[in-house]
Amino acid sequence: MNLTGEEKANELSKILLEVGTLLMSSGANSSRIRITINRIADAYGYEVDLLITHRALMLTIYDEEQDYFYSRLKRTSPHGANFRMVSGISRMSWRIVEENWTFDQVKQELARLKALPHYPRWVVLVMVSAAGAGFCRVFGGVYIELLVTFVATFIGLFVRQEAIKKSFNPYLAIFFAAFVSSMIAGAALKMQIGENPEYAFATSVLYLIPGIPLINSLSDLLDGNIMNGIVRGVNGLMISFSIALGMISAIVIYGI
Amino acid sequence: MENWLLFIDRWFWLGIGAIGFAILFNVPRRTILTIFLLGAFGGTLKFIILALGGGIIMGSFFGAMLVGFSSIMAAHYKHATPFVLAIPAVIPMVPGAFAYRAMLGVIHLTEKIDHNTFLKLLEETTDNGLKAFFVLAALSLGVSAPMLIFRRESVKNMKVRIK
Repeated sequence: MNLTGEEKANELSKILLEVGTLLMSSGANSSRIRITINRIADAYGYEVDLLITHRALMLTIYDEEQDYFYSRLKRTSPHGANFRMVSGISRMSWRIVEENWTFDQVKQELARLKALPHYPRWVVLVMVSAAGAGFCRVFGGVYIELLVTFVATFIGLFVRQEAIKKSFNPYLAIFFAAFVSSMIAGAALKMQIGENPEYAFATSVLYLIPGIPLINSLSDLLDGNIMNGIVRGVNGLMISFSIALGMISAIVIYGI
Repeated sequence: MENWLLFIDRWFWLGIGAIGFAILFNVPRRTILTIFLLGAFGGTLKFIILALGGGIIMGSFFGAMLVGFSSIMAAHYKHATPFVLAIPAVIPMVPGAFAYRAMLGVIHLTEKIDHNTFLKLLEETTDNGLKAFFVLAALSLGVSAPMLIFRRESVKNMKVRIK
């Protein structure tokens, strides 16, 4: 397939934006997105300028020989951590550089990465609940409290997944999950099951903590992407606020 | 002896915490064992520093730094970016408890309470909020420390020699 210079720039800009938006919604930080896109553009001999925001990416591709440029804007899909995608795109970007991939090969690889399966739902539920029990243990809980945390996390995460499936507002989904988890752990606290049921109550919502938004926020601020850092930080605060609201509802209901 | 058993117990559960989040973030299957080890050793280092009287912020910083450096070494063997290994491993150290206690405090502050309770609550809330922020800053600084020190944008061409 022989493309003219214009068509090539057009095609490449589409691919680069696809890569950028996939990285953004999978939970990569801004400098990683910029480095990856520049690496791929370099491999094809183009110069690229980028504007990265949380909800959209803008890109201008410049062809020096023909004094010709293309600008394009693409919205990011809803955010959800997917490190298989981040890892896969990073490997792909190196193979583009080393093996001189064609555009079609890149598109095929992107399609393959998008089709990669997630872990089965029950594995996610069990492992995240085990992680919650682990936090409870690290706080100093004993086995009965671990069990309370496990059950509270399991049901809370299930509620969150269902709420997201029914396309509730993501913050509202987190509120529901935090509320259900604290209602379950709060019942144990109310009935004084175990020695220190307050450990179970405090750790039952830890699976909701906005780890990726907050860590990415700080690393963006550190890299000088101040705007993105602030946006991610506020997003993280909103999530913490939703968790606190869910907990406080349970506290008010039980009067603890 | 009792203390060491406690650390081994925590080591295990911190690792479980790390892989729980790793699976939530859908990491490639080949990296799960690495993430368990990174999370377990990073978190244990934090608790060792705490036990030595280093404070939560310093503990988190060195714990995250251990994760940051080891993730670069591991990245060569597991063919994954250090970022993918390091983030789930530091998640158990994220100050979630401090963050939502600060949030709960802010909500309580708006209720109708007397002056002395208000002041006491304000003190606790500020303490929790500041700790949450600085622990978080220490974590992300610790994880990106190797990159900042070696001044590279990628670890691909970095030579790692163990032995």
